[in-house]
Amino acid sequence: MKLRLLVALAVVALLPWILHTPYWRGILIVCAMNVMLALSLNLVLGYAGQLNLGQSAFFAIGAYVSTILVKTWGWNFWLAGLAAMIAAGLLGLALSAFAVRLRGHYLAIASLGFAVITYQILINWEAVTEGVRGIYGISPPPGFRSPVALFYLVAGIALIVYRVLDNLVRSPVGETLRSIREDEVSAAAIGVDAARWKAFAFGLGAAIAGLSGCFYPGFVGTLVPDAFNIVESFTMLAMVIVGGMGTMIGPVIGAVVLTFLPELLRGFGELRLMIYGLALTVVVLFLPGGIVQGWHALRARFS
Amino acid sequence: MKEAASASGRVGVTALLSAAGLRKSFGGVRAVQNVSIDVPEGTVLALIGPNGAGKSTLLNLLSGVYRPDGGTLSFAGHSVREMPAHRRVRLGIARTFQKIRLFKQLSVLENVLAGFHVHHDTPFWKYFVYGASGRFRGEAAQLLEFVGLAARAAERAGALSYGQQRMLEIARSLATRPRLLMLDEPAAGLNGAEVEFLLQRLEEIRRRGVSLIVVEHNMDLVMNVAQRVFVMNHGEPLFEGTPREVQSSPRVVEAYLGGEFA
Repeated sequence: MKLRLLVALAVVALLPWILHTPYWRGILIVCAMNVMLALSLNLVLGYAGQLNLGQSAFFAIGAYVSTILVKTWGWNFWLAGLAAMIAAGLLGLALSAFAVRLRGHYLAIASLGFAVITYQILINWEAVTEGVRGIYGISPPPGFRSPVALFYLVAGIALIVYRVLDNLVRSPVGETLRSIREDEVSAAAIGVDAARWKAFAFGLGAAIAGLSGCFYPGFVGTLVPDAFNIVESFTMLAMVIVGGMGTMIGPVIGAVVLTFLPELLRGFGELRLMIYGLALTVVVLFLPGGIVQGWHALRARFS
Repeated sequence: MKEAASASGRVGVTALLSAAGLRKSFGGVRAVQNVSIDVPEGTVLALIGPNGAGKSTLLNLLSGVYRPDGGTLSFAGHSVREMPAHRRVRLGIARTFQKIRLFKQLSVLENVLAGFHVHHDTPFWKYFVYGASGRFRGEAAQLLEFVGLAARAAERAGALSYGQQRMLEIARSLATRPRLLMLDEPAAGLNGAEVEFLLQRLEEIRRRGVSLIVVEHNMDLVMNVAQRVFVMNHGEPLFEGTPREVQSSPRVVEAYLGGEFA
């Protein structure tokens, strides 16, 4: 455990010096945000077993609430970030009300609807969000103006999020969430209040997505609704599935692979999206447990 | 609720579980009608009847999977008629399912550990910092020992044989530390040796002070383990008595031989 933490810290410390161009450093920051998003969705989908396609909305709430509090109300960034995280978490709790009544595909549709509504609000509530015109001139968090510093900040927070969630899923709470995923009737028969624990997973997952969202506007410098199109929800879903849902390291791997793969494929021009789509299909078809499953299969073969 | 127990007047001691006039319909089908039962502390009640007699529905009413359309239901002095299933577990009602419902992707040990859910008193946020808790591991291992699965603890629950899965479900429900354990056809699909082992374990569970309601078709098991037998037919109570009385009741014999069993 200690060794893994040291390795993770070393990797984070070295990365911006290996991929040292401004372009790749930018990709690294995006990657760290994606890791947090994948982890947040994995808590709800991989552990509590709730097919939530509304995660992009919480990412948006984090970004917009923190930015508006800073730009319009003059809040301190860190306080605004905390408020944004709480706002996203509370909305996650609200969405969990659907998860109590709906399951499987029906929950997927309802949560997708939630993401669509959020997106529409961002576009149309111009008095607050500036609509499609967008919000400009957003600065990075104070003290983290350089790309390297911002990467260290976001990656450091992603590491803390990983550690906290890793603790949680190995605790009795993890057992409880997985019991809901496996069989809700059975979970009730051992005293699990599924509604309450789904709310917990949705709320925490949403808060973490919101936290990730706080760093996005300062990194890009502008904020437009299109960054939170519902397609983002599916990108997060792909990260979780490709990496291996219901494991802690899987979504991290998925986030890294699916952040870098499109960049590496840029040389293929128009073929890029086709290759990306094909790679996704192959993984889902042949490795339903994702890259983590593939790794375990490989290890079993050679040992 | 007390009236219900004394009105039936069959038992001297106050019943742990007491139901009176329970009803449940699905659409136009009356699955359970007019069922009144008392289960005194530390006793075993067997629930028998032809297929479709309403036994599983009754169990689902008692455990809270379904809400009754009418009647009263009390457990240990609390009215539990409208109480959701998960809260009844905290009062001490546990159950297994006719169609086994384990957490298949979890390990055998994890299934039992999950069963201790209601006994965790650590606030959840502490787990953010401390992670795994070794609490209940010893007790879980003892329960696995008790049902003969100690050697399989690390395996995936779905990989166990049918009979072993039944025993694991019992271990998981015992982890809730029930006062009343309801078993829905625990011997279904078990071989002779397994039934023998089950019978012995049920005796031991009862000896430790847990009351039992057992839905069962295996008459050997019923006659051996139960103090009282409650017979249902077409959703209604048909007969109640000691195993010996039930065996010699012409009405029961007719229900079985003249009914679906013919």
